Amino acid sequence: MKWTNQIMWAVVFALMTMVSVSGADATFYRGINLNGPGLTLEGHAWESGDTTNLVVRGSAFENQSVPLKPATDAVRARMIRSSRWGSDVEVQLTGVPAGPYQVFLYVWEDNNSEQFDLLLNGKAVLERFHSGSAGQWKRLGPWKTTSQDGRLTVAVDAPSHGAANLSGLEVWAGTGEVPGTTPARFALQPTAEQVDFFERRIRPVLAEHCYECHSAQAKQIKGGLVIDSRAGLVRGGDTGPIVTPGDPEASLLIHAVRRTDPNLVMPPRHPLPREVVADFEAWVRAGAPDPRTENTVAAAQARSAIDWNAAKQWWSFRPLGIHSPPSVQQTNWPDGDLDRFILARMEAAKLAPAEDATPAALIRRVTFDLTGLPPTPDDLRAFGNDPSPTAYARLVDRLLATPEYGERWGRHWLDVVRYADTAGDNSDFPIPQLYRYRNWVIRAFNRDLPFDQFVRQQLAGDLLPAATSDQQQDQIIATGYLANARRFGSRVEDYPQHLTIEDTLDNVGRTFLGLSLNCARCHDHKFDPITAEDYYALYGIFHSTRYPWPGIELEQKQRDLVPLVEPGRRLEVEAQLKTREREQRRLEKEVQRLRESLKGTPADQKATVEQQIRDAESAAREHARQAPPFEMAYAVAESTQLEDVAVQLKGDPAKPGRVVPRRFLTVLGGAELPSGTSASGRLQLANWIVDPAGPLMSRVLVNRLWHYHFGRGLVPTPNDFGRQGKPPTHPELLDWLAGQFQESGYSLKAMHRLILLSRTYRQSSVRSSDAVEKDPTNELLSGFPRRRLDAETIRDALLLLGGTLDRTPGEAHPFPPQSEWKFTQHNPFKAVYDTPRRSVYLMTQRIQRHPFLATFDGADPAASTPARLTSTTPVQALLLLNDPLVHEQSRRFAERLRAQNESDADRITAAFEQALGRPPRSEELTGCLNYLSEVTTRYRTTTPPSAQPELDAWQSLIRVLFRLNEFVYLD
Amino acid sequence: MNPLRTSRRGVLQSLVGTSLLLPGLVSRLLAESDSRDPLAPRPSPQPARAKRVIFIFSNGGVSHMDTFDYKPKLFAADGKTMGVGGGLSNQQRRLLKPGWEFRPGGQCGALVSDLFPHLRERMDDICLIRSMKSDDNEHYQATLAIHTGSFFFSRPSIGSWVSYGLGTMNQNLPSFVVLAPQMPYAGTQIFNNDFLPAYHQGVRVIPGREPIANLDPRTTQPGVQDLEIGLAEAFNRQHLQTHGHDSELAARIRTFETAFRMQTEASETFDLSRESDETLALYGLKRGQTDSFGWQCLVARRLTERGVRFVELVDGSSSHNWDQHGDMAEHAKHAKAIDQPISGLLLDLKRRGLLEDTLVVWTTEFGRTPGVDGEKGRGHHSACFSSWMAGAGVQGGLTYGSTDELGATVAENRVHVHDFHATILHLLGLDHERLTFRHGGRDYRLTDVHGNVVQALLA
Repeated sequence: MKWTNQIMWAVVFALMTMVSVSGADATFYRGINLNGPGLTLEGHAWESGDTTNLVVRGSAFENQSVPLKPATDAVRARMIRSSRWGSDVEVQLTGVPAGPYQVFLYVWEDNNSEQFDLLLNGKAVLERFHSGSAGQWKRLGPWKTTSQDGRLTVAVDAPSHGAANLSGLEVWAGTGEVPGTTPARFALQPTAEQVDFFERRIRPVLAEHCYECHSAQAKQIKGGLVIDSRAGLVRGGDTGPIVTPGDPEASLLIHAVRRTDPNLVMPPRHPLPREVVADFEAWVRAGAPDPRTENTVAAAQARSAIDWNAAKQWWSFRPLGIHSPPSVQQTNWPDGDLDRFILARMEAAKLAPAEDATPAALIRRVTFDLTGLPPTPDDLRAFGNDPSPTAYARLVDRLLATPEYGERWGRHWLDVVRYADTAGDNSDFPIPQLYRYRNWVIRAFNRDLPFDQFVRQQLAGDLLPAATSDQQQDQIIATGYLANARRFGSRVEDYPQHLTIEDTLDNVGRTFLGLSLNCARCHDHKFDPITAEDYYALYGIFHSTRYPWPGIELEQKQRDLVPLVEPGRRLEVEAQLKTREREQRRLEKEVQRLRESLKGTPADQKATVEQQIRDAESAAREHARQAPPFEMAYAVAESTQLEDVAVQLKGDPAKPGRVVPRRFLTVLGGAELPSGTSASGRLQLANWIVDPAGPLMSRVLVNRLWHYHFGRGLVPTPNDFGRQGKPPTHPELLDWLAGQFQESGYSLKAMHRLILLSRTYRQSSVRSSDAVEKDPTNELLSGFPRRRLDAETIRDALLLLGGTLDRTPGEAHPFPPQSEWKFTQHNPFKAVYDTPRRSVYLMTQRIQRHPFLATFDGADPAASTPARLTSTTPVQALLLLNDPLVHEQSRRFAERLRAQNESDADRITAAFEQALGRPPRSEELTGCLNYLSEVTTRYRTTTPPSAQPELDAWQSLIRVLFRLNEFVYLD
Repeated sequence: MNPLRTSRRGVLQSLVGTSLLLPGLVSRLLAESDSRDPLAPRPSPQPARAKRVIFIFSNGGVSHMDTFDYKPKLFAADGKTMGVGGGLSNQQRRLLKPGWEFRPGGQCGALVSDLFPHLRERMDDICLIRSMKSDDNEHYQATLAIHTGSFFFSRPSIGSWVSYGLGTMNQNLPSFVVLAPQMPYAGTQIFNNDFLPAYHQGVRVIPGREPIANLDPRTTQPGVQDLEIGLAEAFNRQHLQTHGHDSELAARIRTFETAFRMQTEASETFDLSRESDETLALYGLKRGQTDSFGWQCLVARRLTERGVRFVELVDGSSSHNWDQHGDMAEHAKHAKAIDQPISGLLLDLKRRGLLEDTLVVWTTEFGRTPGVDGEKGRGHHSACFSSWMAGAGVQGGLTYGSTDELGATVAENRVHVHDFHATILHLLGLDHERLTFRHGGRDYRLTDVHGNVVQALLA
């Protein structure tokens, strides 16, 4: 619910004339000021905290000096700022007649945000409630319930470090509407007297004292507020509404002119006379009747804000253009439309394409490209000896159908979504379940899941229809994408969830839209047309999403994961799991309680208490050890709090500004959630992103494909299609590809075929010196861009050649069992698990780099990696000289070659074919034979002589091959 | 040193006599030289006082009021319960007097506690900053920040930025070396290049048989590694010729030569056998001993004199360090471990004339609370702490900034972590606002959008 609404509900009681009361409304039953005296609120008598028929557990707490956000009237403020506090506060009304009730609860926060669950009659009505920054308060509810055995019980359940401040309980009898849930309204049709009052007593003051800074004509509009029109007055400023009609006490405007808060005094220099302040109070009390009809808001916004029409002209925001392939002079070169786009630009620059690549170079290139592994000698021969014009197309089809394709291309996706198997908080807790998402990605590529569905499932798989239970579980696993957002810190109090949401938005923006949204967290984006309101409109969607809890130093147990059970059982199973969690917490609190009680225990009873502690500890341990009997997914779900959020001024969660409805980016249409939606909005967001009328997703994706095939995208900055990125080198081709992608039904494999079968892709990597001179960076693709193999491919190739690669799909990592997790920032989780499987299955830590991958520019597991760097460092050379992996695999490769071939010449041929994808030239063959004989002699003649001089020499030769540029570069 | 490792050129020449390599290749190999090197030394864009940095990081949170920040009122207020301000210290806590006496050191008379008797003698070379300020009371965040300027997100370390800005002065050694027997908080992130190219990643050194991973030749047969490198180079050169002289390919060929030499040169750097007894004594180091901070300090000097641009020394680990919540007395053990070695390092650098253009920096991630934590310990305190710099371009003997009378908040001349970084870069001739790297659509800086050079510290 929105803050504004709450204030409005609250004040409506004072304005009964403005509210229609229907006969079926609920009736006020009891209101209780939980830590304070009786009082009258909204015309109802509230009882004191020590009244009868009431049992309250929890420490009394009061701090009247904290300014409340939002401001409210004095009586309510006093009630709110005195509360019952603790991690297990309970409020029980007794003697409650049977029947239906509706419950409201006032909660507040005096310093740092805390998290807790709220239970009504034992059932959770709010989970993981964040209490907000200092001074924030909420009137939560209404929750519907019935009395149980004459009781109504509200209880807090918090992890050991969470604590709640409960201020007031308000209960209504009946199921009808609680009066006041309709927001208060500004006076719509002012009477003649009201108009007269406004014109004589209000408008002149506004004009004289306020317009200088708060009108569309102001030299500089302050605080985003204009009050030179009714619309501006109603809208309010950066920090939200300034007038709560009918309630001067809750109106910022009145607080400002009264000058009660030194941080907010208006007009800034000279106080208004007391009688003028009184006029304003009367005016607000009457609903702020305002006859002005002109709307200055749009004019004011246009001055400071983005020119949306101009913004939409930026190349990446424009609708996909329909471009026919250009005509070219060298008409016999293109092998399809794609080539014509490429050739036309070459011709314009007076460049010619390179020769076609040799079959040997081509099969090595395309096999590494699609599978991340080298071709086998049999593949080489079969392809080299197949003169059919369709041989290459068949090769591409065969490679696309291998399971290794998904492992290779899934890894590209994992780069972009900054996949890691740990959470990234200070202790870097393991996430044993996340491998399911990794495998889901690999499978999705292998089965060519249409890309729009691929996107939808990752953002909202849990909300999509599914034909079978398996499909639904699969879709839930897909939301591991969101769940995998980084976690931060070690705190439970003041847990920085806003950073996790920031990380989510940052990645969603870059991955799917090619936009850096995070710049708009603190202020409107400086370069791209994204406002802070846009940012928090999206933020609300993820604020309304429940993220799984991976555990952190002070609360080490996982929770809020999603059980993988049949759809019908999910709610029941989740409830069971919750009960388990609560039971665990109860057991642990019991241990704590007993430990504390030990201090005051007389000496002669200490032994008994100590035994009790040991029993309680073992009970807690035993309970923790029993794993829940369900497979779990590290996935997201809808939160119990579905709501819009306020802009965080300067990105500071403690400075809430205006509440913004959840919606899409303005520059992309600004679609809003349908009114009355009771959902986070993730599904809608997914649909907005994949909407074929939107230009970004298809452009971004085909550009990524191009990037991975050619080593550089048509847009060289695959994660940034905004003004800070680089524009496309071939804009028409980009749009044409995006159009083809949509027509293919978002089939990645269709796009691979389109690109790989082009003559552009089939060019040799050797360019003419003329081309190198005219186009040194090969922007126009007059030749295939040579590139180094990435870290995973180098490792996989070494294992493959050594004959030790296990090609079965990876499964869960051998993490220690959860019952043993004791990770802290002093002793963070840290491990390297070796595996003979492909590198995509290596356990990836978020804040520790894998040594091999880090050496060869592996992906950054903490932030999206749109493109791998290829640095060339002596540390890499040292690794290839001396690393045990290199030595072991070269030995195994040498042994295999020797076992499988008769002569050294045959062995050298086989070694070249397997490692370099071609037979040796005769001079190389001679050189290698000479080398072997020289090195064998050395091994034979030292003291003591080697036991296997030939094998040693062979191993040496293989090490040489592993270090060749030709081995690690793809032509 | 392995006598079998001869020079590269020599090996190549020796191959000419064998029929091993293809005719004509070797002479081409010997003739070629390469261009374009990301680690080539670059002149500082602005006048520089320092050519290199030794950055000493004491992990866990060193108490300022027990070491470098004399607070007589805190001695007097021992046992009083009050909230003194400065984040966590808003809470009511019993004040704890410092556990050590303070005495003046050097000509300047800067007050240093008995925890650092050796260092106290060096105060004329040291520019003490008592008004440091960080923003987070968690070890991890504060440790990340003192290295990268970022509290939550991984970013390039200061050593990587310096390497990126200035390159290296010795191609046979890495430009950024981290002497870390154990890992501090935030792990490898403290020397990570992050989005900067991998040349600028800190290379970790762990005392022991093989201080840098893969430094020791695994091929023990005499001369075989040389032959391997020779053959690979021959094939690589031939490949280069048929591949349009791609500069990336050429650069990669050169890395094998560098790595080959690094095996020798780095090993030689870690070999302390030729250091005199007197030098070892200066560092409080026994001959052959590697498990002491003295080893780190002496190796730092050797790396520095061989042209390594940025050397970091990590004191303590994430689980064994200055984090004394329970009993401040344990500070004595940690201080004793580093006091003489650091003091020896400063003296040794000075005697060799290296202190002229070497900046030595000592810091921790945050200070500790004036109030008690646990029984006799202190809590985390980012509101103020002490650090120091010495050597190139800073005013020795200066004491800069101060805290309030109980050491709870900065009283004057605040030096935020960002200011600290800006000043270090300035001394190296780098403008912290201009040393940028374009990443993810933004120009990143070590100091983000903050930081001011603290002019008053400069000599």
